[in-house]
Amino acid sequence: MHHIYLDYAATTPVREEVRAAMAPYLSGVFGNPSSAHRWGREAAEALEQARADAAQALGARPSEVTFVRGGTESDNLALFGWCLAQRSRGESPTLAVSALEHHAVLEAAEWAEEAGLARTVKVGVTAQGRVALDEVRRALATGPTLVSVMWVNNESGMVLPIAEIAELVAASGGTLHSDVAQAVGKVPIDVREVPVDLLSGTGHKIYGPKGTGFLFAREGTPLEPLLHGGGQERGLRPGTQDVAGAVGLATALRLAVAEQKTEGKRLTELRECLEKGLVAELDRIRINAGEARRAPHVLSVGVEGISDGAALVMALDLEGVAVSGGSACTSGSAKASHVMEALYGADDPFATLRFSLGRDTTTEHLQRAIRATVAVVGRMRGA
Amino acid sequence: MSRVLVAMSGGVDSSVAAALLTEAGQDVIGVTMKTFCYSDTPSHGKTCCGLDGITDAKRVAAALGIPHYVFDVEEDFTRDVIDDFVSEYAQGRTPNPCVRCNGNTKFRDLMRRGRALGCDHIASGHYVRVHHREGGTSLLRGLDPAKDQSYFLWGLPREILPSLAFPLGKLTKDEVRARAKAFGLVTADKPESQEICFVPTGDYRDLLRRRLGSHPALEAGPIVRASGEVVGEHTGYAGFTVGQRKGLGGGFRESVFVLEIRPETREVVVGTHDELFRDEVQVGEVNWLTDPPLSRAELHVQLRYRAPAVAATVEQTSDGLTLSLTEPQAAVTPGQSAVLFDGDRLLGGGRIVGGGHPGRL
Repeated sequence: MHHIYLDYAATTPVREEVRAAMAPYLSGVFGNPSSAHRWGREAAEALEQARADAAQALGARPSEVTFVRGGTESDNLALFGWCLAQRSRGESPTLAVSALEHHAVLEAAEWAEEAGLARTVKVGVTAQGRVALDEVRRALATGPTLVSVMWVNNESGMVLPIAEIAELVAASGGTLHSDVAQAVGKVPIDVREVPVDLLSGTGHKIYGPKGTGFLFAREGTPLEPLLHGGGQERGLRPGTQDVAGAVGLATALRLAVAEQKTEGKRLTELRECLEKGLVAELDRIRINAGEARRAPHVLSVGVEGISDGAALVMALDLEGVAVSGGSACTSGSAKASHVMEALYGADDPFATLRFSLGRDTTTEHLQRAIRATVAVVGRMRGA
Repeated sequence: MSRVLVAMSGGVDSSVAAALLTEAGQDVIGVTMKTFCYSDTPSHGKTCCGLDGITDAKRVAAALGIPHYVFDVEEDFTRDVIDDFVSEYAQGRTPNPCVRCNGNTKFRDLMRRGRALGCDHIASGHYVRVHHREGGTSLLRGLDPAKDQSYFLWGLPREILPSLAFPLGKLTKDEVRARAKAFGLVTADKPESQEICFVPTGDYRDLLRRRLGSHPALEAGPIVRASGEVVGEHTGYAGFTVGQRKGLGGGFRESVFVLEIRPETREVVVGTHDELFRDEVQVGEVNWLTDPPLSRAELHVQLRYRAPAVAATVEQTSDGLTLSLTEPQAAVTPGQSAVLFDGDRLLGGGRIVGGGHPGRL
């Protein structure tokens, strides 16, 4: 059986250009970028070129880009780094995070409160994509506040109104962080146009290597490191840099942004084809966040009459179609995802199936996915 | 080709069960049940006792080339097994959580999810045989008397029996180890797990303290003789089980054993070995895997895992069964299982409610 991968929001394969760009830095140019000799200089040059490429893709300056080891680390560095900087100024900071955030933000914010570093408030978001701006305003009024709202939600594909929130936050002198793991290459992101202060991204969602990530921090944003033991990345992220990883990440980022318009259009058409097919073939389904603005690559479908979303994903796997329930990170868990609970309430009778499309997705793949979904849902509803 | 869902704990037995089914050409799907997390803090330290088991099961499944999934049954398991375990000890009884899990949680969930995945059969690594025939399906004792696990399965819903497969029922443990080596399974040399899965430290009283807080079951109380004479003090009746000899403190002229636990007065009653014997057993929460036997049927009952089955006459009562034992038996323990057999055939069972001496009345 030919297997079909429709879980690109979970992770992507490394694309050929990225692999080729990384190859010289795995063995040939292997120096430590902090070394003073020729080997070190070559590595440092590659690293700084990668930083310049990554910065350019975001509309940022190279000095505003820190290479880290993944999206989770970037989120944690943004939240804790900012909290620590506030505390060392004697402030009592507040974290205002949207209810749809990835666990890397949500649990970090909860822990910041447990650890006594910050007060944390959760900001509601409706299924139509409206953020409770009043709650944001109230938080901003309490003193130094970091607002964290993801650019694109990983489970529903919803695009959050970052520009609007950025204006509000900037006007109140707050700080805005946005997790862009699912947004890079899917929607336009330019820090010259949107006054966002911190962005967290990852390589493996954009055909780059796993274990790579970046933090954009607008100049002047106070941050303290979480790790100690070296001066790398201007002291913000000590530890010998992964030059090949940085080159891979920067290449992936540059290509994703360059192709965003054409690939976004193609994926939107494919997603609409999938959506139409499922709606035509299945009753009692709902397109999650269907009334909100959505990113091109994610289609989240609520299926009524199935008590067990986890088994639905497994059954589709056995039919050769790889999708996820909420997000890949919560797969296997019986608990309703925090995102669907925030959008539709705790007693929502719909199980979630997330299809996410990518570079290799074709109409034929989607036709097969539709057939498999119809068969599996029919069997499980009958059981 | 039929599709089989096999429960894989990550131990050697269920690994071999999966390997045998795969070798037989079945369409095998492996699944590991995630039953609980023993860390009570939600945000970090999410170590699950089952995690090593899940990893091992995944590795075995990958080596066999079969799909593997994790079924999260934490909520059901906590409610049906752990809460019951705690409540039984709080009431002075000695629970049998594996019986409870098989009957209430594990096999029910396997059936339900198995159907969703298009499976015709459910398999596990239990040492028990399944006998399909015209009149219905029965479970028979495993052929290796040292490993036979039929005792733990009396609580299964009868209607699932036709869907069950137990590939190890005719094998000995040594044969299973040898097959595991021959298959090259990473779990071949794994030691046997002995403790209760959700009490990995073996200290169940620590679990009771965490879940009950302060409770009479964990407070000091008198150790008394059957006559009522106080002969000592204990540190909480939840630490005792009927038949237990250790932990009663010294100072007795002869060996003494726990005869009874009285939660209402927090008394632990002790006496001599002779006083332990009972020739009548009351049984509740009865479940039959066959049609119920006729009244006054003469069957065999197993009162503890690894104890031999003994002859008994069975009578139905309004709320269960009364078993009259042909030979008196020591340590009839409330909360444990009374499992009924006709020869090798598992008929059913129930929870022991109490023991008595009808002959002396």
